[in-house]
Amino acid sequence: MGKGGEEFIMKSPDFCYYEALSIEDAIKFKSNDLESVILAGGQSLVPALNMRLSSPSCLIDISKIKELKNITKDNDFIYIGSAVTHSEVMQNKIIIDHLPVLIDVLDMVAHPAIRNKGTHGGSIAYGDPAAELPAFAVAANAEIILMGLNGIRTIQASDFYHGLFETDIQNDEILTSIKYPILKDNQKILFDEIYRRHGDYAMAGVVANIEILNNEINNLKLVFFATGTKPEVALKTSELIIKDGYDYSNVKNMIKTELDFESDLNSNAEMKLHLATILTNKILKLMET
Amino acid sequence: MQGSKNITINFIINDEIFNNITVPVRQHLGDFLRSIGLTGTHIGCEQGACGACTVELDGKAVRSCLILSSQINGSVIKTVEGLDDTLMKKVKEIFLKHNALQCGFCSSGMLITTKEILNKKKKLNREQIRTEISGNYCRCTGYQSIVDAIEEAIEDNIKDI
Repeated sequence: MGKGGEEFIMKSPDFCYYEALSIEDAIKFKSNDLESVILAGGQSLVPALNMRLSSPSCLIDISKIKELKNITKDNDFIYIGSAVTHSEVMQNKIIIDHLPVLIDVLDMVAHPAIRNKGTHGGSIAYGDPAAELPAFAVAANAEIILMGLNGIRTIQASDFYHGLFETDIQNDEILTSIKYPILKDNQKILFDEIYRRHGDYAMAGVVANIEILNNEINNLKLVFFATGTKPEVALKTSELIIKDGYDYSNVKNMIKTELDFESDLNSNAEMKLHLATILTNKILKLMET
Repeated sequence: MQGSKNITINFIINDEIFNNITVPVRQHLGDFLRSIGLTGTHIGCEQGACGACTVELDGKAVRSCLILSSQINGSVIKTVEGLDDTLMKKVKEIFLKHNALQCGFCSSGMLITTKEILNKKKKLNREQIRTEISGNYCRCTGYQSIVDAIEEAIEDNIKDI
């Protein structure tokens, strides 16, 4: 263990720190220094730095920018600012009233001490394949709002994730907010995951966006996470379930054909395929209650 | 416009005011605290998993290994050394009574987490207490005695409301 102070053993690499005063200020800095990265809450970035998995030239701290710390709502959408912490989202009246499922999801995101600092935009932008929020954003048909040198750009969450920790954010861009459609009366989002310890990354997880018509599933969008390199929509599996309902072998075969499974430290690809299948059944049972 | 490798910051730790302190920007808060002699905060995994380094930052529990010293400008910090009010003195007595520690490595983090639980002024069952402390590893006690202690601390804290 390091003594602290002057002695650094297995500590983060050397970088510089810049506290951005405004969104424009952060964009300017980022586009001038292509090796710099954005620091919001740092709850994924700082561990990566401590383990030397990342060595940026500079950290641009956006956590003090007021415009990024709001949660607002209009008739059709809820907007969560990228620097709002998970704890703040969980206690927000708009979220409690209009998107309460997000609170259940966030309850699975790490532990209270990490949620007090980790941010909504940070988790979405980091794109950890085992994280809950990227999958939630994809399932909820959220749009990601980015700001860059050329102004504002909006992209569907499902198009935002390219691969392992790879997103559509360009060098001069900053994620400013996430726009969630308000759920219709006959629509709900359900969520479940299997983990080894409460708050740890999931071994496999699923978020389902379900529309009910005359007591039947009219529309279903299953999104799996902690299964591959990014959150993935299982379109054919969703269609199969609407048509034939749940059958372990059929669902497992369909998930296997349409998703790419990757082993990680928690479980291997075969295990993840099994868990994804079981979770699909758990979600359908949840729907009935 | 340029970033810096060192930063001069102001903050309060355990009611003591620190002005114009220069720290390397890459040093995390846990290491900084230990470098100024506040060694009650323990550094375990340095990746946010173990919870040993948990301290209070602006009234909220955080992992000191996941906060860069450069991020604490203008903040109020409380470490285990500063848990000396009536409530936390009582909580420490309750921890002792239940043998809710053995080697003590996790205890500073456990006490800060307990403080946050007590701030909610809400009764929790044992399962809920286990969920609340799921971010704090203890390799000695098997958690049973820690849950006992937190259960009593909650009872004690809300009995007057």
